[in-house]
Amino acid sequence: MAPITAPFPSGPWFEELVARATADTAAIERLGIAEFRLGAEVVWPDGARRLFGLELDGYDIVATGPVDEAAFGPDVVLSGSLEAWTEMIGWIETNGPSDSAHSLNGLSIAGIPFEVRSSDAMGSDKFYRYMGTLQAVFDAAAADTPVPATAD
Amino acid sequence: MRRDLRGYRMSLGLDLSYLERSARGEFDLGWLRNTDSEWGVSAVPSKTGLTLKDIFIGSYGEVPEHAPLRTMAPRGSDIEIDVPDMGYTVNDKAEVWSDNVLDLYEEAVSRQWSATRDIPWSELVPLDPDVEHAMCQLATVLSEVEMVAADFPAKWLWRINHDFVEAKMFLCTQVMDEARHTEVFRKRALANGGGLGRATAVVERFLQLILDAETYDEGSALMHLLGEGIVLSLFRAGAALSPSPVEQQIFRLCMQDEARHVAYGTMHLRYRLEKDPSMAADFHNYLDKGEEMIAMIFSTPEIVEPTAILAAGSVKAACELGTEAGDVLRHQIIGDYLKRCDHAGLGRWGRLHLPDAIIDGVPGAKAEVVV
Repeated sequence: MAPITAPFPSGPWFEELVARATADTAAIERLGIAEFRLGAEVVWPDGARRLFGLELDGYDIVATGPVDEAAFGPDVVLSGSLEAWTEMIGWIETNGPSDSAHSLNGLSIAGIPFEVRSSDAMGSDKFYRYMGTLQAVFDAAAADTPVPATAD
Repeated sequence: MRRDLRGYRMSLGLDLSYLERSARGEFDLGWLRNTDSEWGVSAVPSKTGLTLKDIFIGSYGEVPEHAPLRTMAPRGSDIEIDVPDMGYTVNDKAEVWSDNVLDLYEEAVSRQWSATRDIPWSELVPLDPDVEHAMCQLATVLSEVEMVAADFPAKWLWRINHDFVEAKMFLCTQVMDEARHTEVFRKRALANGGGLGRATAVVERFLQLILDAETYDEGSALMHLLGEGIVLSLFRAGAALSPSPVEQQIFRLCMQDEARHVAYGTMHLRYRLEKDPSMAADFHNYLDKGEEMIAMIFSTPEIVEPTAILAAGSVKAACELGTEAGDVLRHQIIGDYLKRCDHAGLGRWGRLHLPDAIIDGVPGAKAEVVV
């Protein structure tokens, strides 16, 4: 499988990501049910921000595209610079499912480069409760055959 | 035929004549004709299947604030008047309930995993001996502390009234979760050339504090909210510091389970305080005592040092960094704990029973000086 063709970040990129992640329904069901709204916030160097919604609903996972934070009502906003997002996704595309240093948890535990933002403790705790599912979604960015890190 | 002539007496009130009547087809049928329980119920499955919430309907969804009987009879069933008293001591809903307990049970059942099957054990990699020792020490502590989170609910389960069966069922999932955590960390310690490390008296005293809690309220606050909150942060750190996919998967899966237990504890405390705000003082007292656990975590070499070595990658690098890496963990443990207390309605900002050396740098943790 080739890397996702839609540009990152964009609604189509997240849609393709989720389509890949949910292609194996048995694998998704094995991860278990979840009820969670994640806002993936990308911050550009000039400070501009865009939020992309991911909704986990039972066994369903839906990419809701660019969303308004107040309207979407995320349990958690995972916020990072465009550079941090592209580096993480590039690593996964190249190397396969994330290692600990390139995982959502690893990149957010110290508050940099990703920040976990939630209005209350239950939101951030849900981020931990569903970490396996969330990581499986982002790991779907991986190409089945790892792309060489550098061209020959 | 006289069965009592065979040398024993039936002591449970067996109606021998019923055996004879029913053999002749003279059935009682009282259970069929004379029933007071709600009938005609058709619970509709939701999209993930028939959930506890789906059957929490009509009279079957009514949980009494105070259980009228102390029996194992299913809530909502017809109950004969001469059922025995099971002696339950937790008979008020607010003592165990949380508004998310039905969902948490379904989630727990759905997200079970196997420490044998779901960990990629064959992908373990040889580690520097000191790093392996650090991982084994951390696994030893976690294998030790996780079982108290099975022992505590198990100690209380048989005392909790059956009318709160959904809460009991959730606690049963926690017992299974913690058995698996104990299993997986024991397996990790024994799987890669190391072995078990040191069990310390100070950790055992902390476990004793939970196990010996005089009330479920006290034990739940100490364990679900405080103790498991700390361990949740340790799991997060463990996942972030994992040297191979094996440890990453172990910590990630344990983190998910632990966060579910913390979610129960937080929402249980919230429910308890909503029903009886006057209990806030009791809970403050429990946590005043329990916060020594946090201080203990950051002053126990068997916990601090393995974490520092795993974060730094070697003993030498860890010694150069000091507790810098541990500061991230310290901030997270205290910050998350304060937020959970807040959400439960028990603000602990500025009243933590912790030395300044522990809470330095954590926003809002120190008491504000009023001038």
